[in-house]
Parts: sequence; C-alpha cells; structure tokens
Amino acid sequence: MSEARQFKWVGKRPVRPDGVAKVTGDAKYGGDYSLPGTLVGKVLRSPHPHARIRSVDTSKAQALMGVKAVMTAADMPDHDFAYIGNERVQVNFWHVTRNVMAREKVLYEGHALAAVAAVNAHIAEAALALIEVDYEVLPHVIDVDAAMAANAPLLFEDMITRGPQPVPETPSNIAKQVGFSIGDVQAGFAAADAIVEKTYKTAPVHQAYIEPHATLAYYHPNGRGELWSSSQGHFIVRNLTARLTGMRVGDVHVNPAEIGGGFGGKTTVYLEPLAMILSRKSGAPVRMAMTREDVFKATGPTSGASMRVKIGVKRDGTIIAAEGSFAYQGGAFPGSPVLNGCMCAFATYDIPNQRTEGFDVVCNRPKSAAYRAPGSPISAFAVESTMDIAAKSIGMDPLAFRKQNAAMPGTQMIYGPKLAHGGYLETVQALLDHPGYQEPLGPNQGRGVASGYWFNGAGESGATLFINADGTAVVSTGSPDIGGSRASMAIMAAETLGIDYYNVQAQVSDTGAVPYTHVTGGSRVTYATGMAVIQACEKVIDDLRARAALIWDVDVEGVVWEDGCAKPASSNVGEFEPLSLKALAAKAAATGGPIGATGTVAAAGQAPGFSTQFCDVEVDPDTGKVTILRFVAAQDVGRAIHPDYVEGQIQGGVVQGIGWALNEEYIYGEDGKLQNPGFLDYRVPVASDTPMIEPVLVECPNPNHPFGVKGAGEVSICPPMAAIANAIADAVGRRMTDLPISPPKLTDALDSRSGTEL
Amino acid sequence: MAVRVVLSTGSTELTNGETEFYVEARNLRAVIKAMDERFPGIGEFLAEETTVAINGEINEHATYQPLPEGAEVFFLPKLEAG
Repeated sequence: MSEARQFKWVGKRPVRPDGVAKVTGDAKYGGDYSLPGTLVGKVLRSPHPHARIRSVDTSKAQALMGVKAVMTAADMPDHDFAYIGNERVQVNFWHVTRNVMAREKVLYEGHALAAVAAVNAHIAEAALALIEVDYEVLPHVIDVDAAMAANAPLLFEDMITRGPQPVPETPSNIAKQVGFSIGDVQAGFAAADAIVEKTYKTAPVHQAYIEPHATLAYYHPNGRGELWSSSQGHFIVRNLTARLTGMRVGDVHVNPAEIGGGFGGKTTVYLEPLAMILSRKSGAPVRMAMTREDVFKATGPTSGASMRVKIGVKRDGTIIAAEGSFAYQGGAFPGSPVLNGCMCAFATYDIPNQRTEGFDVVCNRPKSAAYRAPGSPISAFAVESTMDIAAKSIGMDPLAFRKQNAAMPGTQMIYGPKLAHGGYLETVQALLDHPGYQEPLGPNQGRGVASGYWFNGAGESGATLFINADGTAVVSTGSPDIGGSRASMAIMAAETLGIDYYNVQAQVSDTGAVPYTHVTGGSRVTYATGMAVIQACEKVIDDLRARAALIWDVDVEGVVWEDGCAKPASSNVGEFEPLSLKALAAKAAATGGPIGATGTVAAAGQAPGFSTQFCDVEVDPDTGKVTILRFVAAQDVGRAIHPDYVEGQIQGGVVQGIGWALNEEYIYGEDGKLQNPGFLDYRVPVASDTPMIEPVLVECPNPNHPFGVKGAGEVSICPPMAAIANAIADAVGRRMTDLPISPPKLTDALDSRSGTEL
Repeated sequence: MAVRVVLSTGSTELTNGETEFYVEARNLRAVIKAMDERFPGIGEFLAEETTVAINGEINEHATYQPLPEGAEVFFLPKLEAG
C-alpha cells in the first residue's frame, strides 16, 4: 500500500447513513418489534445473593388465567461440564445455561430461575408472584479479596483452580490462575536504582448501554425459530440460542435490530433462549425486555479487581523490571478477562524482565461480560499509576519516560512473540508536540498522563454486494452497526468500485442473507468485515471487466477498471468509450444476469491499538469533586475511514473511562443486595461532567489492510483512569489507588494523610 | 525448513511442560501436524483453541498460512472481543 495513495472517499466525512432513521424514530430497536398475538414474557429473579434451590413450584402460576407458558431450567437441556474453545473465551455450557436460568443454586441477586408468558404484563407479573421457591439461603461473598480468602463461602463446592502446578487439593473461588514471564525478573529488580510497588483496587463497572436487552421470539409451527434481537452479533445470538434450547443452528433465524449501545455487553444472550422456549411452549410470539434494574442486577459488568504492581527503574530512565499480580472478579461464573489484563499490562513498554500472574475469581455478583478492551483498562490503571510514580521518583517527565521506554516493532512481548507493528511512540510524540501539554496550571489543578494497549480483533466476516439496474449498489454485512460500520462499509465499497458514496446503500442483514460474521466487537469490523466488502467489490469488478470484454469482443486482460469505469488497458486493445458501472448495470441481463458477489474472510494481520492521553483536572479540596478541565487523547488508528466516527469512538471511550475513574460503582449492602440499580444512583458521566475531549488521530497505516485500517473502537478506554488518578496526584499530592475516586474517598485522603504523595 | 514454535498458551500439560520446539514445516498446517505427531492430541487444541502469531502478526485462525524462512510461530490464548 503506497503512503502517497490518494483517496476519493476514504478519510472523508460524508453524511452517516443511519442518522435520519435514528433521529426521527424510524430505526427499530430490540423492543420495537411485535407480531399479532404477541405475549409478554417476564422473568422471576432471585432475591438472594446465594442460595440453594430446594424446589420451584410453578403450578399456581400455570393455572392463572391469561398465562400461556411457564418455564424453568427443567425446560432446557443440561450440558456436560466441559470447557470448549480457546483458552481465554472458553465456553463451558454447564455454566452458560446456569447463568441464563439457575438450576441447583442461585448465585447472585437477580439470577433468573423461572419465566412466564402471558397475555399482558400485569398477568405476567401476577404469575411470577405465584411461583413458589424454597430456598436454603447460604453465606455470600461480594469482594474479590474476600472471595479469595481461605474461609470464603464457596460458590462451587468442588471447584479446583485450573492452571497451577501442582494442582491444588482443596476447592476455592479461584477458577483459574494464569501467568507470563520474560527475562529474569529477580535480577532485573536487583539492578534497579528505584523500585515502586503499590496495590490497587477497581470496582466492577457496567457497560451502561442506553438500550436494555430486548427480544421478540417466535417458534413457528414448522419447528423453526425466529428472533428479533438487539445484539452485537446476531450470528452469536443464533448459535447460543440454538445450543441452549436444543435446536439446530439452521433452525434458528435471527433478525438484527438496531442497537442502542453494547460496548461488549451484548456479545452474549440472556433473554433469547427463554423467549424461544416460552414461544415453543405457548405457540405464540413472545416479547421480553429487561428493566434497567434487571440490566444492573443480571447482566455483565466488567470485573472489579485487586492488583499489585512493582516497577524497577534505572536513574537514566530505563525500566529494568516489572511485575504485576492481578485478581479479577468473574462474577458468579468463571470467565473474567484477567488473561487479557496480564498480556496487555506492560505491552506499551520495552522491558527486558517482566512477570504477570492473574487470578479469575468467582463471587456472588452477576457474571462479568466483555467491556471495551476487556481486561486491559483494569491492569492499565494499576500499571500506568505505578509508571507515573516511577517517572516522578527519578525526576522524569511522564511522557519523556514513556518515550524512552516505548515498545517498538521487534520489542519482545510478555506473551511470546515480538511486536510486529509500531504506533505507540507516535502517540507519545503527538502529545509531546501538543501545545496544551506545556500550558501552566492553577492552584489545585494537575496534569496526568497514561497509555494503553489493546490487541484489536479480526477473524470471520462475510459480505454481499449487489449492483442495481441504475448502477447503485447494495452492501450487506452481518456486522451490527455500533460505531458507524454502515458508513465505513459504504466508503470502502465506493472507494474500491470508484463510484459515489451516496450511490452505495449499506445495510445489516439477517442470518439467512449473509455469510457467518463474528460479533461487532474487538474493534474488528472495519478491519475484517471491511476486507470482506472489499473482496466482494473486487469480485464484482472482475465480473464487470469480463462483461465489458464481452461487449467489446476483446480478452478480459485487455480491460481495466478505473474511476468506476471499464476501460481498454491500452490503445492496442482498441478504441472504446469507457463503460461506467451504470452502463454495465443496464446491460446486466444481456451480459450474464444479475451482478453481485459475496466476500468471505478469516482476516488476520490486525495491528494492535495504542493510545496515550493527558488530562488536566481541578480538585475542590472542600468537597472532593474532581472537574475535568481538558482531555487530549492521541490514538494510532491506522487510517481513519470516516474520521468523525473514529473521533467519536475515542471520545466515547474516554467518557466511559471518566465514569470508571470518578463515580461508577456497584454499592452492595451487608445483605449482598445491590443498592443502586439505576442511573440515578449509579452515576455515569453526563455532558456537564465532561469538557470537549480532543481526539488526536495518529495514522500509521496497517500494511495488512488494503486501506491501512487498524481497529479503533476500544483502546481509548484504557488510559483515562490512570491519567485522572495521576492528574489528581499532581494537583493535590494524593495517590488514589482505589476506584472510583469519589468525593468521599478523596476528601478522606486529603484529611487523613500528611505530606505529598507521588 | 526449520520453524521455531513456542507455546504461550499458559497450559503445557500436553507437552509435559515443554514450551519451545523446532519443527520442519512450510505452512502452519504442517506445524500443527508435526506437533500432533510428537504430542498426540495437541493438534486439535492448537488448531481450534489458539490464536497464532507468525513473526508477530496475529492470526485468529490457524489455517494453511505459508511460513517464511526462519519463521517464529507462537500459539497464544485466544483473545476476547469487547
């Protein structure tokens, strides 16, 4: 790919194709679908954080007039206890089915254990109240450190930690232990001139998507099931629903609804299998939707964590050794992203001696789910806070410190291979060059810096391209549009075909219309699905060249495609007027029939994302309120296909990071029940909390993608928590190590500690 | 052509604790086949349950990628989307 390549549409900011539908209310989300005779489905949820289910009696509910179906776990097939799939995202359907519908135990307040379908919501609610559950209430554990303690209540009495050798002999709440190392860590610390070691905690935080989970299911009389669902991947919804209901994948058809936010939290299922079974039992369509309280109590936040990080530095600024221990909460079932946390923790640095260890810990909270760069922001908070102290301890500017130790292509990564792509150093330099970085600050104001790393994803995607008779094009993909993929797909198709962006209609199609496509997540869609779109376009171009050759009666090798037209490759081929896409489309029937192609890829070669950010804050020493004055976020994005959307992704990640840093947390009572399951008490940032977040697009194109794309959706959430904590330390001399840095915690730190902390 | 193969999956039960190998292979399938011959049963694990880095470039699916001379192949844990 030539750096000098000129683009007509890539890098431009055309009107977004989904905008009008969304602002006029024309877009249909998961809860907007209905069919004649649709029933209302409701879920009975556990009032206890931990209890054994002695019995569930649904007879009174089933007898209530207007109730058409009642289900429990007994209506779902059970699964063998087996970890299937890859190491990090291994799926154990014994766990998955128990999270969707409890069997032997309820493991968190809000855990589903029965569901009903009735003719209206009132009858459904009344039916839930008639279900009799006999619980044996058990001791519970909420905090990650408490869950790891020797005397902690066990969620699974027979769970032996996977990973360590020798294998432990006694069960615990530690589901898995992982570890990585390079070099000689002990020798590295022995050679250090200064060593910094700190412990940290982070709170579980929810993805806080605006749209609660919602679905409509209809089990057709012919035995095939159909779903309308808001998700980050309707193919995953299809696969999981089929597995959990005992259906064949081919017998489940999923129609993607518009999605009102996901951020990783909609890469799994909660309601879809229940709605499908209720529909099968009732013979009618069933619609289910969560309340906000349901969302908080029963869907995945990301993990909270307890961490220790140790950094050894030389006086010349070299980081000589690093060590991290990370315990992440998986929630009620194993599966925290601690492995990612261990792999990403020091990935922006060239450190010869490193060791990380991670613990996946279960506790009586909802099962964790993916959240924007899963696992990386958590360890980044601990590592980047410690890096800030390390830099200060030797009197270095934090950006200069990062520049000196920056990971470069060829740097040994803790997880094995050498880094293949650059981009990190450029983000650091972008901030060093930013005029705001040198601006003076006032009293109680401080500046903080932090960086982040995320792998980015690729993998399986499919797309189809059809050319209409008037020369317009339809691009269909299986990637739900969360971050602007309709626009980016249309841009890449227009650029490849050489036609006007506004002549391309991009749409998200159902599981019966396009090839399998993995989730919209992992910052993979513009990269991988984009490759599938480009491939489909290239196939169509080959076809169009062949059709032009047929019309001109020349060999296809004598026809080239330029600027949206078939042209003779040279004057030797003959003198022919170019044939535009529109002209060829008009002759489709005469030249072989409809024009279209499918692109399918298992994309590889994605480049990681790097982000470096600085923020300025002001601390009110009386109230502990932290005001964000300025936030500048530099990110290597490869090449921005539609810069508005890329900037929006960066700003969105930073805003979520601000909430994670300052306010968001689950507050549990002594009874193990969530006390703030709503946006009034679970405080996400609002517009008045945030200044204009300034994105700085650093473009180091990825040579593995035709347009240089790198994933851009996630890494911006990695640095903010540490950047803010570092800014607070700079402002008031208090090192805050426990998220969120809420006003009471900060005032307590200001009141109870003396001296200045780095 | 000798290829350096490193298991960085965090689990080495199938290889008796060994993590680094040299095998003769021209593509990734041949690496997996050679590993399976040495440690019966590991082939399916490597093919289905790992991400593969070839000279640092990430491949989420172990398929028939050709390997350049002197390639380094790392089998890594799969990575989760967000």
